[in-house]
Amino acid sequence: MSPGEIHGLIGENGAGKTTLARILGGLAAPDSGKVRIGGRAVELSGARQARALGVAMVHQHFSLVPSFTGLENIALLDPGAWNRRGAAARGYRERVEARARELRLAVELDQPVGGLGVGARQRIEVLKALMPDPRVLLLDEPTAVLAPQEVDGLLAVLRRVADAGGAVVLVAHKLDEVLAVATRVTVLRRGRRVLTTEVASTSAPQLAEAMVGSKVAGPATSSRWRGAPLEATPVARLAGVHARRDGRQALRGVALEVRRGEIVGIAGVDGNGQRTLAAVLAGVQRPDEGEAELPPEVGWIPQDRTEEGLVGGFTITENVALALHGRSALRSGPWLDWRGVGEAALGVMREMEVQAEGAEMAAGALSGGNQQRVVVGREFLRSGSFLVAESPTRGLDVKAAAAVRARIRELAAGGDEAPGIVLISTDLDEVLELADRTLVLVRGRLVEMAPGDRTHRAIGRAMLGADRAGGDDW
Amino acid sequence: MADLSALSSFLVAAVGLGVPLALAALGEMVTERTGVINIGLEGSVIWGALGGALGALAAGPYAGLACGVSTGALAALCFALFAVRLGTDQIITGTAVTIGSLGFTGAVFQSRFGATGIALELPTVAALELPLLSEIPILGPALFNQAAPAYIAYLLAPLLAWLLFRTRWGLAVRAVGESPDAAHAAGVPVIRTRLLATVFGGALAGLAGAHLSLVHTGTFAENMSAGKGFIAIAVVVLGRWSPWGVVAAALFFGAAEALQFALQAWDSELPYPLFLALPYLLSLAALVGWFGRARAPGGLGSPWPTARR
Repeated sequence: MSPGEIHGLIGENGAGKTTLARILGGLAAPDSGKVRIGGRAVELSGARQARALGVAMVHQHFSLVPSFTGLENIALLDPGAWNRRGAAARGYRERVEARARELRLAVELDQPVGGLGVGARQRIEVLKALMPDPRVLLLDEPTAVLAPQEVDGLLAVLRRVADAGGAVVLVAHKLDEVLAVATRVTVLRRGRRVLTTEVASTSAPQLAEAMVGSKVAGPATSSRWRGAPLEATPVARLAGVHARRDGRQALRGVALEVRRGEIVGIAGVDGNGQRTLAAVLAGVQRPDEGEAELPPEVGWIPQDRTEEGLVGGFTITENVALALHGRSALRSGPWLDWRGVGEAALGVMREMEVQAEGAEMAAGALSGGNQQRVVVGREFLRSGSFLVAESPTRGLDVKAAAAVRARIRELAAGGDEAPGIVLISTDLDEVLELADRTLVLVRGRLVEMAPGDRTHRAIGRAMLGADRAGGDDW
Repeated sequence: MADLSALSSFLVAAVGLGVPLALAALGEMVTERTGVINIGLEGSVIWGALGGALGALAAGPYAGLACGVSTGALAALCFALFAVRLGTDQIITGTAVTIGSLGFTGAVFQSRFGATGIALELPTVAALELPLLSEIPILGPALFNQAAPAYIAYLLAPLLAWLLFRTRWGLAVRAVGESPDAAHAAGVPVIRTRLLATVFGGALAGLAGAHLSLVHTGTFAENMSAGKGFIAIAVVVLGRWSPWGVVAAALFFGAAEALQFALQAWDSELPYPLFLALPYLLSLAALVGWFGRARAPGGLGSPWPTARR
């Protein structure tokens, strides 16, 4: 990186963008390798030290104190805000205002930031990072929460920072933003740098291909698509579903039908409504508008295993019981057939090769991968006619991930008794490997890919929300 | 055998003082097991005492007990509607319910009976002497010559232990308290479970209050709950959220209070309030984990859902 450069860092989810940014920002230490600033190899052991060396970071999630005013937030981490006795330095406010004017950042300094909109908070966050005049400004997906006009404003500010001689690293997963502002770009895929190039000498399709990998999934290897519908009536059906998450519109008119024995793959960049779609399909969130016809019992492998999948303080057996407690075979009135539940738990542990000291071990004491196996195995057991799997192999090693995929395939091939399966995954390879049909979830809308369009390129383009009418000439 | 009869009467007093604590604490234990800490329990106790008094005057002592249960449950319902349904801060809401209840019950009492200063006389719930069991030396009269609420408390402990750890209802209750998100994902109705558990806790606290007015004193006085609801919350901690532990802790608190009265009667040199303070020190020790692993339910005190849709 050189002064005046804006470097775009792009890649799919889990490609390692945030990890790389955190290492540069001093928040994580590299296992090996060196960070050099100004030609000197440095060891960054914390955000404060990184700041002292001239690296400032704007986080993906705001790091502002909501009840403080903008000025208080900016002063909080800036040594220049305080005089030697720790009192507020004279003229600090004027310096902040001058800097804001220089960058043409419209900031509200006297309101508690909690009451401001995300765009206004973002501007304070950026100004806070820029107050000590850093040599390197890191932004981790700063545009994820912004409206389009706000994005343009932010990109303009970044250009002014670079023009003034600063170096900017912009982590993003939206191609167009990077192309609009960056001078150079690096593409990461699965923790490796696959491409670094001048923006002037590259194109959107080249970058998209580098991001998702150039392998084209041929129908012969990936599709079990049988052409004809397996059964006339779907086990689950969504029509015109609108739903909100944390007050934001997450799903906008989603329609989906799932039949027994098919695997419906839903690809997409994280944050396009996946979590809400899964919650609606699992029957734990009611849509604000539209219809959701679901079977009474749905297997659900939630993305957030530790929060939604397991009760950490419960034993493995109790966790299995919790998911299966509605099962008529395992209860009579208020009684639970604990022996039956215990056997089911041991079955899950055998099936998924869970490493544990026994079924009475607390789920919270298991390693992440083993927790995941318990959830996956249990939900396989629970899914009578319908299973929702959210990134079911995330966090698993290669062998375990392959085993889970094989089990999903087996489940779907189970003939008349097979459940309908919705696979929501940000791993495009996984979707292409397993799914009979592929849909792309982008900005809360579902787009069905035609069977001939099931290539990395076509899906990658749909995932990024590129114009589908544009044909193949990009 | 003067010592023996002194011991016996001390035990009778200890159990008598421990029973309302055990009742209120068993209810609060169930409430806390769903992740709700009802600081307003004191409110349920005082409403139970007043409801018990009014019910007993109208229709006899047992109707009074039933009335106390209902008024206690209603007070807890008020708390639950805010803290569970609307997701308000549990500590602040509970404090408001407690202070409001102490004021309201006083107002109702004064408007009904006037501020005459003459103690109200209520029909009391007589002790039921269980044949055979009450003839066990020393412990017999203490445990088995008590009024009906004591026997309810004895039966509740095993019943709740079984419900909590053996049935699917108990599983749902504990899951909601440990991890409401996971419970929700498993199809357990989080809000309803918390509401019912809170009302159940209030009902038992109301019974404890009615015990105060109809068994213990035979009268009603403003603020007569005297912190029993708060003590019950400490009892839950000392009992480590387990039914048997809670009963043992309640009897221990009862014994400490009885000892304090005994010391006053004996003119001891020891400052008697010391024995009132002792159980609280032990509660703190229980929280720190000196008596083995004591862990509050993971979701205790946090409203759910955390981010409202």
